[in-house]
Formats: sequence, C-alpha cells, structure tokens
Amino acid sequence: MIAAIQALLDGLMIGGVYAVISIGLTLVFGVMGIVNFAQAEFLMLGMFTAYYAWAWLGLDPLIAAPLAFAVVFVLGAAVHHLMIRRVLKAPEVAQVFLTVGLLIVLENAALLMFGSGFKSVATSYQTSALHLGPLFISVPYLAAFLMSVACGAVLWLFLERSWFGRAMRATAQNPMAAKLMGIDSDRMHRTAFALGVGLTAFGGAVILPYLTVSPTVGDQFVVLMFTVVVLGGLGSVAGAVVGGLAVGIIQSISGLLFPIQMQNLVLFVVFIFVLAIRPEGLLGRAR
Amino acid sequence: MKPALKYALIALALAVAVAVPFGLEPRGYATRILCLVLLFAAMAQAWNIVGGLANQMSLGHAAFFGIGAYGSTILLVKYGISPWLGLLPGMAAGGVAAWLISLPTMRLRGHYFALATLAFGEVMRLVANTWGGLTGGPSGISVPFSKPGLAVFQFKDMRPYYFLMLAALLVVTAIFAGIRHSKLGYRLRAIRENPSAAEAIGVDTTRTKIIAAVVSGALMAGLGTFYAQFQFFFDPDTVFSIPAISVRVAMIAIVGGVGTTIGPIVGALFLIPIEELANQTFSDQAAGLSQLVFGLLLIVVILAEPRGLLEIGRRLWRWRGRT
Amino acid sequence: MTALLQISNISKRFGGLQALNDVNVSIARGEILGLIGPNGAGKTTLFSTLVGLLKPSTGSIRLEGREIAGMKPHRIASAGMVKTFQNVALFLDSSVLDNVLTGGLLRHSVSEARALARHCLAQVGLSDIADKRAGDLSFPERARVEVARALCTEPRILLLDEAMAALNHAEMDEFLALLRRLRDGGLTLVIVEHHMKAIMSICDRLLVLNFGRQIAIGTPAEIARDPAVIEAYLGRSAA
Repeated sequence: MIAAIQALLDGLMIGGVYAVISIGLTLVFGVMGIVNFAQAEFLMLGMFTAYYAWAWLGLDPLIAAPLAFAVVFVLGAAVHHLMIRRVLKAPEVAQVFLTVGLLIVLENAALLMFGSGFKSVATSYQTSALHLGPLFISVPYLAAFLMSVACGAVLWLFLERSWFGRAMRATAQNPMAAKLMGIDSDRMHRTAFALGVGLTAFGGAVILPYLTVSPTVGDQFVVLMFTVVVLGGLGSVAGAVVGGLAVGIIQSISGLLFPIQMQNLVLFVVFIFVLAIRPEGLLGRAR
Repeated sequence: MKPALKYALIALALAVAVAVPFGLEPRGYATRILCLVLLFAAMAQAWNIVGGLANQMSLGHAAFFGIGAYGSTILLVKYGISPWLGLLPGMAAGGVAAWLISLPTMRLRGHYFALATLAFGEVMRLVANTWGGLTGGPSGISVPFSKPGLAVFQFKDMRPYYFLMLAALLVVTAIFAGIRHSKLGYRLRAIRENPSAAEAIGVDTTRTKIIAAVVSGALMAGLGTFYAQFQFFFDPDTVFSIPAISVRVAMIAIVGGVGTTIGPIVGALFLIPIEELANQTFSDQAAGLSQLVFGLLLIVVILAEPRGLLEIGRRLWRWRGRT
Repeated sequence: MTALLQISNISKRFGGLQALNDVNVSIARGEILGLIGPNGAGKTTLFSTLVGLLKPSTGSIRLEGREIAGMKPHRIASAGMVKTFQNVALFLDSSVLDNVLTGGLLRHSVSEARALARHCLAQVGLSDIADKRAGDLSFPERARVEVARALCTEPRILLLDEAMAALNHAEMDEFLALLRRLRDGGLTLVIVEHHMKAIMSICDRLLVLNFGRQIAIGTPAEIARDPAVIEAYLGRSAA
C-alpha cells in the first residue's frame, strides 16, 4: 500500500514535468494543425543550454531554465519562418516529413556540436530527499515539478489574460474569424511555435538535475510526449496537463508491476489503444 | 511517354543493372553500396504500397522488417532451418503483425496513423530487447557461418548478393505495379482521393486498406531476411530503428516520388550513395554528418517539391523544352 | 405491387437536433420518387441514412425484403442501392474513365469494369471526355460523371442528390430523358431536386419533408394543392 502511494507520488512529480514539455506540442497543433515530430529535439536543446549555462557560467539548471526557454524560443521563431510556415497548406505527408527531417537535422547537428557523450550537472540538492512519514520525495524531482507548475501557471495567465494569448486561442478555435478580426495569423503561428518549443526546452532544463543529456536523449521522449498529448486530446492545453499526470502515474505504477524495460511498453500499448478507440483524446477535442 | 519508349528504357535500365557488378571489384565497397541501394529501394517500394497507394503514412515499417530479420535468423540459429525456408514464416509473421496493427489503426488518418505506427515500431523494439531468450536481447544475434552457397544464402563475395537484391527489388516492384493496375490499386486510389465516396460506391475501405498493409508488411519482413543474411549480425536497435529503417524507407519513397513505381528506386539511388559517401568521407572526423545531410536533403526536397525528385525532374524537362 | 425499398419509422438525431422524425415510405420497383422540402428539411440526411453513411437512430430499411439499416455503405451498395453526393465527390486526380470504372469493380474484373464504364459514360453523353482528369471538369460535367459512376455499380435503386443543379435547359431535358430511359430499363430512382418543373414532370410521386418530418406524400398534382405543403413552402400567410 505504501509502495503504491509512493509510486503515485513519484508519478505525479514526473507527470508535472511531462505536462510542461508536452504542452508545446499540443499548442502548436491547436493553433497551426501541425504535429511536430521534432518537438523532443527542442527538449534536448533546452537540456544542453542549461548544461552549458551550468558548465560555463555556473548557473543552476533551475535558474537557467528561463534562459533555455529564451534561446529555444528564438530558434523556434527562426525554424517557423524558414520552414514550418511554408508547409502549413501542404499535404499532411509534407508536414509530417518536414518535421521528421527537422528531427534528424537537430539530433545530428547536436551530435556534431556537442559530441556523443553523456553529460550531467552536479548540484548540492541532487541526492537529497524529503521524508514524510514512510514516504519520501526526491528534491530534484520536487524542484522540477514545482518549476513546471510555476511555468504552467504563467502560461495559463498568458493565454487567459493577455490580448496576445486570447488572440492565439481565437486563432486556434476559428482561424477565419480571427483573420477577419485583424489578427495577423502568421505572427500568431510564429509565436505559438516559438512558445511551444520554448516551453519544452524549459522542461528540459528543469529535469537536467536528475537526468543526463546526450544528443539522442530526445528519442526517449518522442513517443512519450505524443502519448501525453493524445491521451489529453491533441490540441488541448488542459488535456496535456491531465495527460502528463496520467502518463507519469501509468509509468510509475507499471514500474511496480513490471521489469523496468517494460514500463514504456505499457505506455505505448496504452497509446495505440487510446488512438484507436478515442483519437480525439480522453478529454476530447474532436478535429 | 510512349509505351515502346517506356519498355525500351526499362530494358536498358535492366541491362545496365545486370552489367554494372561485372565492372566492379566483386568484394569491393562499391558493390556493397549498390546492394544496399537495391535493398533499400525494395524496402521503400514495399512501404510505397501503404504510404503511396493507400496514402497511409506509416512510420513503423521497421516493425515488419525486424520481424522478418529475427524470424528467419532465429529459425536458422535454433533449428538449422535454411533462410530460404525461414523467409516464408518470417513473411507470414510480418503479414500477421501488419494485420494486427491495422485492426485498431486503419480508421486513423494522417498524423494519427503516423503516430500509432511509430509507437508500434517502438513496441516491437522493446519486445525484442526484453525477450532475450528468443532474440538474444540487446546484445544482438549472429547468423552462423556455413559453407557458402545459394542453398544457405551465404556467399564469398558481393556479386551474388547483388543479384539476389536485384531480384528482390524486381519482385517487389512487379507486385507494386501489379497492385496499381488491379482492383486493389483502383480501390486504394479511390480511398486516397475520397474515402466516403469510395465507400458509397461499394469499396470496403477497411478491408482494402488492411489487405494493402498485410502485403506491404509481408514484403518488408521478407526483405528483413535478406538484410539479416547480408549483414550477418544485427540487434533490436538496428532492425527496429525509427531513423535507420522506418523513417529512412519512407523518406526514400518520398524523396523519389511517393506513390509512383520508380520513385523508390530513384530515391534510393540518390540518397543511399550520398549517405554512404558522407559516412566514408567524414565518419572519422564527425559522427552524424551523413545523417545531417540526409535530414537537410529531406527538408529541401519537401520545401521545393513535396512530390519528389521525379516531379522536379519533370519540371526541369518542361522548363528546358520551353526555353 | 411489392415494395423494392421499404422505409419504416426512420428517425435520426444529432445531439439535440431531430434531423429526421419518423419517415415512412414504400418505393415500388421502377418508380421515380421525388424528395422535396425547404433547405434543412432533412433530404440529404435521409439519403445518407439510406445508404449507410449515417446510422439511423431508430427504424428499419428493407431493400427487397432484406434489412439493411445500420449496414456499412459498401454492403448497401453491393445490395443494390447507391447515391450521388450533393457536392459531387469524385476522385479528382483520376481520369473520368477511372472514376466510373471504380464503380464497376463492385461486380466485375478491371477489364469488364472498363467496358462497362465506357457504356455508362456513353449513357450520360460524356464519351468524349473519358480521358480528362476529373478535377479539370466543369461542375455540371462532374455531376454527370458521378451519375455514370453510380450507374456503373449496376444498382437496383439510385438516389440522386441535386444531380441537375447548374444544368441549362437543353441539358436538363437531356438529363430527364436519360432518367426516363433508365427507369424504362428497370431502375428505380429517388431524386432530390430544387427545380420544381423538372421534378413535377418526371416523378410518379413526391415525398415532402419539413424539419425532418414527412408532411405529405402523393402524386405531383396532389402535392401541388396540399395545404400543408403550401404552408411549408410559402409560410403561414399563404395557407
């Protein structure tokens, strides 16, 4: 019983991070109708930004997270301008394989720039844990979770309260009407894409204290991120939060029941079945 | 193009394909590259049945490829069954796997189908890594050496492999072309262009797509056996790889010309040598450069002309004719 | 007279909207039935429900005595009922001949279907554009290709959803003549059409829908003086 509650708690901690790294994916789909297969590579770039901020400037990854967001935000705006906007009206096959090409390019560019080795940071809190009776919470996990919650709250305020956020939601709901109201859809798309990949990079930075980074780290996250957004409904930001928590919990509970390699297997099988039965997601947002 | 000209060109291409290996060093690197070109062209052609004719963008074809590679190799290692015989159960298993994954995913379109098949490929990779008793797990599996000969599918030099790969490509291409002009091909085209209209005039859309998937999966599995016998050693991360198999075969078909009969061949002739050349030239200095080039080419082709090199060639031809 | 198509108590609900409400009609072999009603009356919904693109919420549909409600469209097509689409749904990247041929594959091999497709194209008067790309045709041409494609499935009963829209007078007369020939060849037809003169001249009976409910059924002459119909079309003041 204690083990189950512990697993639930761990799942929530990890799930909060999953939510933040996946929100970007769902935001881009919601606003532009593009599924970005390269999204996880921006997570990798966020991790590397935080790593070098630590190695060169001595910044803690949690403090470097906004920097990772900013760097990848600018990169995302450029990627949108050079590539993504050119396939918005193209057949889906072009959209899918453009972002697949981007995935290959980013991963291998990172390999050339950063080398194939695994890199990790050292922090004072890396191995510490809080004890709550029989339960314990690892400090780096808790820190990553809290940073994710804070980031999610800021995003929520942005989308709900700012003119820009509202315009972006309007574009997602009805592109035609948004255009008629004078919203510049190209600017909206660019911002959404940059914001989306920036958020993922932010999530990458906050998990660096407990994970190692390498150019291929994105591979571990590709299907996982898609599972999160599909569970919650592709295009729904609130859904990504629920999906993230659900995936975190599924992972840690299946970790109790199955050997470690099987964790992702359970997740992928869940993913295929959710896609098959309710492609619009458990919360639903039909498209 | 006039039919006579078309057949003449096909005959010429075949004659060149047959003659080329005799001009090359039989154990040489160039012959080996050409073997890979032929194999990947055949794999892309198998993908083209689902990806091109049915317009279902599979990102999980490594699943069937790996099943075929493991199927025949396990039968060979454990029971001494010739790969030629092992080819058949391997293909059957590939077909069954395609059928199983089709049941829940065939209603999905576009991005959703791509995502589901991507996950399926990963499931197979994880299963192969986990089920070490059967597959040898992450440390891989080797094809035991025996006295070379056609019966055991092992040869001293590259030339026989070349002709087997060429035969495989011709068979898969003939099947693709046959499907295109058969009932199945017309139905797949109808589904691609308007699924509800197709259904309304009597096309069983689900069944049609499943048949295409099963044929494609079985062929892909057969090519997995060829790969295993050619490489002698592989592990789950190689044959079930997303970038090296699933994405690459799709990419070859797309860069060449998706849905066309010669697109995969053009794509493989273009991409595989470039990749190998980059590997050969730069691998010591910089790992990843060839893949980087590969990804950039994909992006450039898609931004320039999503219908691929064939279409670019056609445009250039027309443009030349005008000036 | 045995009914070819027996529609009993068909209703269709979309959430809170009652798109069809208890439709009952029996269609005889060789009959031409017109389906009329104001926009949004449920005509296209009824067609889609009959051919299986939509599942009826309640009710039964019998084709030659066999229950087909809830079957998939391709099975209903092979049982002998097909429809054309109001907005015309061709395979735009294929040739006209290939479009029509695909219909013939339901019961024939490719080569037989090709011969049959040429025959069907001749019937609708489009033999000369068989090799054109469907996407390059004008709207009235597309509509006729779609009729040819439906005919190529060799149906017992054909549902035409505004196939005559955008035809000029001469073309319309030609089209009506074609429908009569098809009927004389044993085909049963149900037609949705806005052009009143055409529909009055060709139909044996008319079924009038309004807000998903059938408000009248009878010969064109009876319908023309039915007070409920007049009210539905012209509003309460005219009744």
